[in-house]
Amino acid sequence: MQPYDIIIVGAGGGGMYAAMEALQTNPKLKIAVVSKVYPTRSHTSAAQGGVNAALANRHKDDTIDLHIFDTIKGSDYLADQDAATILCEMAPYVVRELENLGAPFSRLEDGTIAQRPFGGAQKYRCCYCADRTGHTILTTLFEQCLRQGVHFLSEYYLLSLEHDGQKAQGVVVMNMQTGKIEALPARSVILATGGYAKMYWQKSSNAAGSTGDGIAAALRAGLAVEDMEFVQFHPTGLRKSGLLISEGARGEGGYLVNNKGERFMKTYAPEKMELGPRDLVSRSIEIEINEGRGFDSDAGQYMHLDLRHLGADLILERLPQIRMLAIDFEGVDPIKEPIPIRPTAHYSMGGIDANNDGATAIQGIYAVGECSCISVHGANRLGGNSLLDILVFGKLAGRHAAQLAPSLNPGAISTSAVEKSLKEIEGYSHHDRTERYGELRDELGKTLGANAGIYRTKKKLEKGVEDIMAIKERFKNVRVNDSSAVFNTNLFQVLELKNMIALAETVARGALAREESRGSHSREDFPVRDDEKWHKHSIFHMNEKGDITLSTKPVTMGKYPLQARTY
Amino acid sequence: MTEEKKDIYFKIFRFNPEVDQHPFYDDFKISVEKGVTILRAINYIKDHVDSTLTYRFYCQAGICGSCSMRVNGVSKLACTTQVWDELPNCKETDVITIEPMNNFEIIRDMVVEYTPVISKLEKYISWVTPKIKQQDLGKKEHIISEAEFKVYDAATDCILCGACYSECSMMTSSREYISPLGLLKAYRMVKDSRDTRSNDRMKVLNEDHGMWDCTHCYRCVEACVKKIPIMDAIQGVRNEAFLRGMKNSEGYRHAYAFTQDIKSVGRLKESTIAVRTKGIFGAISMLPFALKMLGRNRMPKVFVHTIPGIKHVKRIFQKIK
Repeated sequence: MQPYDIIIVGAGGGGMYAAMEALQTNPKLKIAVVSKVYPTRSHTSAAQGGVNAALANRHKDDTIDLHIFDTIKGSDYLADQDAATILCEMAPYVVRELENLGAPFSRLEDGTIAQRPFGGAQKYRCCYCADRTGHTILTTLFEQCLRQGVHFLSEYYLLSLEHDGQKAQGVVVMNMQTGKIEALPARSVILATGGYAKMYWQKSSNAAGSTGDGIAAALRAGLAVEDMEFVQFHPTGLRKSGLLISEGARGEGGYLVNNKGERFMKTYAPEKMELGPRDLVSRSIEIEINEGRGFDSDAGQYMHLDLRHLGADLILERLPQIRMLAIDFEGVDPIKEPIPIRPTAHYSMGGIDANNDGATAIQGIYAVGECSCISVHGANRLGGNSLLDILVFGKLAGRHAAQLAPSLNPGAISTSAVEKSLKEIEGYSHHDRTERYGELRDELGKTLGANAGIYRTKKKLEKGVEDIMAIKERFKNVRVNDSSAVFNTNLFQVLELKNMIALAETVARGALAREESRGSHSREDFPVRDDEKWHKHSIFHMNEKGDITLSTKPVTMGKYPLQARTY
Repeated sequence: MTEEKKDIYFKIFRFNPEVDQHPFYDDFKISVEKGVTILRAINYIKDHVDSTLTYRFYCQAGICGSCSMRVNGVSKLACTTQVWDELPNCKETDVITIEPMNNFEIIRDMVVEYTPVISKLEKYISWVTPKIKQQDLGKKEHIISEAEFKVYDAATDCILCGACYSECSMMTSSREYISPLGLLKAYRMVKDSRDTRSNDRMKVLNEDHGMWDCTHCYRCVEACVKKIPIMDAIQGVRNEAFLRGMKNSEGYRHAYAFTQDIKSVGRLKESTIAVRTKGIFGAISMLPFALKMLGRNRMPKVFVHTIPGIKHVKRIFQKIK
């Protein structure tokens, strides 16, 4: 088989932007976008609030520099400052490009792109399409990929990432509709497979498939992954389902209220109030609940997000989708009643270690978006910076790969790589196996929520690591009950669980090692940031035996020195 | 406070082409709490009862469009549909039927072959072809008035779940038909001032299986999980054809003849509508159909009387003008 020039794994915003840019850069390239779901199903669709860009349409005095500073401060100074600079400098360009290509951004009265305030930002900087920004951006990118004739391989599941130690060779995938395992040789591979916050399962806003497949594949292929302990809890998940109520709801002026009827954020962020950054607001909710100021229910303790004072017109115009979510999943109409909310695992800052072009240590292998750690979000991502991240680095990686690919000559993927996958998959249906997928998955979610959640301690994390290792051991005995080759969802669930378990170990081990509190990582036993010991990235490798090893790497600084972080 | 609980029966469509010659139904009885969605209920069945049950789901929040299936006969998203809300729609008490969408090939159980939808998006040029040259992209934003934005805002809500595609009565008679979501997308693109390929798109829409085939059954509007007024979009592209003077199509001639009849006599002159729509030769091809109607004594009258209230009808036309 002739190798592809570029294989992109993942058809979310990052993957499709990369495909589009690669074809623009060199229309002759043979490119395929491989995805386990049809492109418009990708989790980018769930992004609600918007995408940050210092267009200065609303606040004329907004600047790229302010955006850079907000991003670095938001990251608790763990972001690499050169990467954050690229992110913010490119922001106006990518937002305008998307607009030029048909993205239906909401408009201001003068006809320019509308912007709303967002957590941790000094200015009104977040560009939006009502409260379905991710959906419309994903749709626009899909339309543009169709226009350019991008070749999609939809419903193909990534089994392994292949390289020869220096250069990319391609990927091994399974055609989900036929069950056939195929080696797809490629000069370069761009991983755009999304995050891993679904490992918290019951306590996560993520899609069922946000299981870190690309990161786990990279880890197994010997690549470095970075800062895995940083998982962002979004303050406003729905009480029962953990589904997300956009930060846009607070951006538009929503109040967070405890059982005493107080806007409790005045205690924690007197200036920014509800628009403090996500890590801070989530911690504040946890404290309020722990101190007895939460509301009680079967589904656990919760807080109120009150939008009633905004009025029906504003809610219907700017927050229609979250209104429907509240009605469908909680039976509450935000026009008439406060929404019951609690923090929910939402975004993974960690991911595959990649440079400012998305390139990894292996030539021709790239990572972009939530599966990467470039690192622009550091210890805490600002709302509105995740869509921006996929657009900017999707574009840059697509361009870089397109320029480099023709010069690369990959060796063939060994037949043993395919055989290894085949053997593993056959093994799962062996009748001696007794462990149940659902049980292991639920236990993993529970121990992560309890022991590697918002507030962490040495004791809890040790328990977490112990639990995860036990689950990892039990997984060796997990059974796939469905023996069909056709669309075997039971098999894919098990493969996803394998990825979540592998990455859960890095989350818990990283959190245990990092004896400080920074951004989303809050240690009760080490409550302050320790720049002397821990102003550095965590790096994880998997050795040949499958064990995780930890090391560190320095943070790239720039013009913003370390400062205390208050809001 | 504990939530209300109830035993619910799920009657679920099963078909795996690898082993089954024909589709069949499996019954599952589970205890369900109030507030649980259809998706959570079938996930429970998959996790605890039968892990071979096959369906798609992803975001679980009504925005990705993966989990569309027929619940009690109607296409909807499993993730936003409450079990309790479906109980009044059950034919047998507390028996909820789960089936794959209509008008698609079945891959397995509730999983259907989705590719035809994407082929249609391609055929009808469902994207913006920008005015701005490639090298100038990203430099400046367009100024778009609130009024223009409002025209296609609702259409951009579409998540391609396929519920309208499944419920469409025209799709059932021809899978080649553009489909409601195809027309919705086409309308959204035609009305976008940033796009430059409206002429090409309108030309394809004007061909067979395009914009004139819709029979106004409104089932797409009823089925739309995002409550998008799809029929407005369908009328919208047709209006666009009138505005552009695209008279060379059966659809246009049919609509024109229809309007003329109502204007002049207040009712349809059915006996000649075929000739006026399809032309002499086209109408001859319909002779067997006409003879069949004659045989069943259902041939429309050649001469029709003007309705008594024609004055008022004319006034309506005046007013619209």
